[in-house]
Amino acid sequence: MLDLLRILKDRAVKALHSVETSAELAQWQNTYLGRQDGELTKILRGLKDVPATERKTIGQRANEIKNELEEQAELRKKTIEERELISALIAERIDVTLPARTLNSGYMHPISQTIYEICGIFQKLGFHIIEGPEVETDYYNFQALNIPQDHPARDMQDTFWVEPGQILLRTQTSPNQIRIMEQTKPPVRAVVPGKVYRNEATDATHEAMFHQIEGLAVDSSTTMRDLRGALEAFARELFGPHTKTRFRPSYFPFTEPSAEVDVTCNVCGGKGCRVCKFSGWVEIGGSGMVHPQVLRNVQYDPAIYRGYAFGVGVERIAMMRYGINEIRLFSQNDLRFLRQF
Amino acid sequence: MKVPYHWLKEYVSFDSGPEELAEKFTMAGLEVESVEHVWDSIITARINHLEPVKGSSHLNATKIFTGNGRELSVVCGAPNIKEGDIVPLALPGAQFFNDAGETLTIQVTKKMGALSEGMLCSPRELGLSSDHEGIYILPADTPLGVSLADAVIHLDIKAHRGDLFSIVGIARETAALFGSQLRQPEIKLSEKGKTSIKKMAALTVDAEDICPRFTARVIRNIKMGKSPLWLAQRLALAGMRSINIIVDITNYVMLELGQPLHAFDYDKVANHHLIVRRAEPGETLCTLDGAMRELTPDMVLVCDEAGPLSVAGVMGGASSEISSETTQILLEAASWNPVNIRKTSTKLGLRSEASSRYEKGVDPELALQGLNRAAQLMAELADGEIVPGYLESYSQPAPNITIPFHASACEWLLGYSVTPEEAAAALRSLEFAVEQNSDDGSMLVTVPSWRGDVLESADLVEEIARELGYDRITGKYPTGDAPEPQTTSWFDIQYQFRRRLQQCGCAEIVTYPLTNQRSTLQLLTDESDIAQLLVGAIDELAPAENDKKAGGKAKQKKQSAKHISEMDEQTIPPLDPGALPAVRLVNAVSAKMDMLRITLMNAMLETISANLRYGNTSLRLFEIGRRYIALPNSAQRLPDERRTLCVGLTGYIENWAEPRREYDFFDMKAIIENIAEGLHVANLRFTQTQSPIFHPGRCALLEIEDGGAKETRYQTIGVMGEVHPIIAERFGVTQRTYLCEIDLTRLYLHNTSPRFQSISRFPALTRDIAVVADISVPAQAIADVIRSSGGDLTRSVTLFDIYTGDQIPNGKRSLAFTVEYQSQERNLSDSDGDFLREQATHELKKQLNAVVRE
Ligand SMILES: [Zn+2]
Repeated sequence: MLDLLRILKDRAVKALHSVETSAELAQWQNTYLGRQDGELTKILRGLKDVPATERKTIGQRANEIKNELEEQAELRKKTIEERELISALIAERIDVTLPARTLNSGYMHPISQTIYEICGIFQKLGFHIIEGPEVETDYYNFQALNIPQDHPARDMQDTFWVEPGQILLRTQTSPNQIRIMEQTKPPVRAVVPGKVYRNEATDATHEAMFHQIEGLAVDSSTTMRDLRGALEAFARELFGPHTKTRFRPSYFPFTEPSAEVDVTCNVCGGKGCRVCKFSGWVEIGGSGMVHPQVLRNVQYDPAIYRGYAFGVGVERIAMMRYGINEIRLFSQNDLRFLRQF
Repeated sequence: MKVPYHWLKEYVSFDSGPEELAEKFTMAGLEVESVEHVWDSIITARINHLEPVKGSSHLNATKIFTGNGRELSVVCGAPNIKEGDIVPLALPGAQFFNDAGETLTIQVTKKMGALSEGMLCSPRELGLSSDHEGIYILPADTPLGVSLADAVIHLDIKAHRGDLFSIVGIARETAALFGSQLRQPEIKLSEKGKTSIKKMAALTVDAEDICPRFTARVIRNIKMGKSPLWLAQRLALAGMRSINIIVDITNYVMLELGQPLHAFDYDKVANHHLIVRRAEPGETLCTLDGAMRELTPDMVLVCDEAGPLSVAGVMGGASSEISSETTQILLEAASWNPVNIRKTSTKLGLRSEASSRYEKGVDPELALQGLNRAAQLMAELADGEIVPGYLESYSQPAPNITIPFHASACEWLLGYSVTPEEAAAALRSLEFAVEQNSDDGSMLVTVPSWRGDVLESADLVEEIARELGYDRITGKYPTGDAPEPQTTSWFDIQYQFRRRLQQCGCAEIVTYPLTNQRSTLQLLTDESDIAQLLVGAIDELAPAENDKKAGGKAKQKKQSAKHISEMDEQTIPPLDPGALPAVRLVNAVSAKMDMLRITLMNAMLETISANLRYGNTSLRLFEIGRRYIALPNSAQRLPDERRTLCVGLTGYIENWAEPRREYDFFDMKAIIENIAEGLHVANLRFTQTQSPIFHPGRCALLEIEDGGAKETRYQTIGVMGEVHPIIAERFGVTQRTYLCEIDLTRLYLHNTSPRFQSISRFPALTRDIAVVADISVPAQAIADVIRSSGGDLTRSVTLFDIYTGDQIPNGKRSLAFTVEYQSQERNLSDSDGDFLREQATHELKKQLNAVVRE
């Protein structure tokens, strides 16, 4: 009887090894452990014919074998289920290269992005960001900036007039120098981004409307070295750490001394290319120490206060940064253009 | 300003080539536009032998000697050459511009079988004059093999430096840059004869305010003719053509010294009496360019006793012009008021080399020097006899400006210290006179007469900084006092808006704020609807009470405008310039851009239209910008610049994974609600309205509850809707398009900070409620009633289905909501749920006559 059990166990274990699916496993369970016709059950049914003395031993052994087989079947079941899950998942395979679902991504205009980046740099240096009116008076746009009536500098900036000689579209962001200083006492540090207008013929590099950022810092100790330091920090942050800055003497009616600001061309790295007209330098704006007459115009005593002002063209900088060769793209608003930023 | 390199070298010694010089100029603040090399590969050479080319009627084969090496063979067709002539020879590689502006490069060729290794040049080919009759024959003593190559540095001189519009002026800067000495041209004047000019001519100046100085000389017995090569060459390099010796000399002296001159034919000046006066009304003058000019009393003239001879400082007249018969010259050198000259030249639309210099200011001290220099050259080059003496009117010579200065002013502005000696030396190199006080380092600086731009200490600092080099201004990290940190600025607020819109999948556009009335009015069908363009911005004009009126009108129009094909310009409202509260330009470049926008919507539609043409069919666009509203009755002279947001939406959501769906009203609404949510704006509502811009059934006012008021009041912040197909069609847009315009200042007024509400520990209870109501009852109203009927217990009311059709009576619809109730204090029971549902049923019936379906 014990032999029968041993043989049965060996057979059952062997059979279990070849079970591959849940269905086969059920079949196996039925065959060996089934309550009705299971082989083990059948053997146990014959237990009544066994002498009572052996019955207990054999009964124990049969139970052990039953438990053992059930344990092994459980293990087998886990393996099979795992395998079956894997093949089910494999059947759910997708093509990961299919396009994504639409999650509309938006775009900020490159002009806005450039303005935010530039102003952000100066914000870190403690500058306020202020905006002023685009429709201005002659006083703020010209006279207070040391550009009286009949000053030849007025010819350099063709003006759109609303009321001739009185009201105009600002030709520069500089009138805000006056507005800011009129409204606050030193120390002053501010940048003013905004639209400006010139009554000029448009071409690949000129628009009748474009964006400028004005900077102003006035206190009792700021010098042209601070100006250069601020612009160097700005240029490095915007164009990369290796960018160099150059000052060239220039003329603006509202600064003295005045300087044109060049940075090393970031297209050729200063070696010379078409963008920089083979000079290695690209002009980014004008700057200088606030003219004493301008300080007097806002009741700042030039013997006590000093400071600098600068102005940069946003389109120009955006064109340099992104390698855009045509200024009119900014106002065309073609989605194929906007999408690139 | 064109500066010929070799001409400049005559007045100052330095050892830099043209490029290096240009670099120096750049760093000294003279803006270099370009460095042009001219007459490369052109040298002087002698014709050693000349014989006709076989078979040609006019070509000659020549043997040319350049001073060393072998003779070159050159074929030439000009008739005026002979053996022994010295001529300009262009070697292979030399370049010319032909009359069509094309570049020709000289090459070794064969002409009718004869070898030609270069080209002999005519004056025109060299750009010296228009003479193309023959080869330029050089004087017999011209050395051979001398290169004509030169360089021209093109400078862009700013208006405040009138003194730099001359070669001598540039030479003065150059001398300072190189620590060298300026060599002024030496003026040697030998007057001839006994008759003084006083007996030959007279001068009356009646406009001393405009004419600070006037000088004149008479030169007799001049020999008219062509200018020598060197003179013509210099004029050509400086950009002027050679005309005749007398005119060339006046131009030459103007280029050399910066003093414009005018030569009258002495015999054509009535009574030889020059009178400087203002023009009389109605006076005219035929100027040298042949145009008849109408003169006005603000213009100043040089006249004789018979009438006007020239427009002072601008252009001479034809009647007293120099001609080939001229033998006696009345030569004028004057200084004029720059503003007057600028105005006159602008008014006449006439700019000359003289006027462009006078506009920038010509030093009165220069007049006599220029007069004498020109007289000298007329004597030397045209055999003229200078009559003794000169006429002059110099009412009040301006005293030179003296500025007390201290070297510490340099450190004050530049940030590095400059010794008094350095400062004084720098100023002296530019011919400022400096009187140093060795005790305290102060100095007294006298500004030279030609530097009218230098007025105070800061100007001197700039001169010193230029001399020392701007490279000495090294950067330092900005220190100094900073103002108090700024609180939230509009700049930051707008950034938040832009980010939000970007997150909503919108692309930002930036359009021109300049537009025109026609484009603006295209949004309307009737002029009286102008207030519809300003919804949310201006209340006085806002259409709240006009709603009905506008609605009525829209209905009418719906009938009258059935066929879009009938649309034409006539249906766009007629122009009434006063009707729009817009800022208008008096000098617009084009009629398309003659006013500032009062709405962003027309530019948005134009942008959408353009993008559809580009092939971009699905668009989610926004613009944040200002509109400019003129307030005609306001004391404020400047317009109200209102920060405004415009959103435009058109096209489809298209994806392989979902069915294609057209954007609709609710996509636009989602964007707006998202923005409002970003600001935690409470109580934003959408009210059905009508506007001629929008689809009569698909338009909403955006309103926000006014927190401050006692009774509930709403402020309109904007409008949105589906663009009326007729309006869209006018902009070339033929697909459904949605627009929204919001006043950002008003919207932002309602921003709040989020307030935390504790999260209940008790489970929520959910009830579905299906409501049958009149189709005219807004869904929002039903949801509001359900919400308030549950009081504090209502957590959310969510619409999940709308149904019309079978089982629902005509004119009604069924709306199904999921309502979530929750208490902070206890578990809600089913009976609570039944009670709340009952409450809702009761209120819906009472307030909206709506029935809850079982
Ligand atoms: Zn470059």
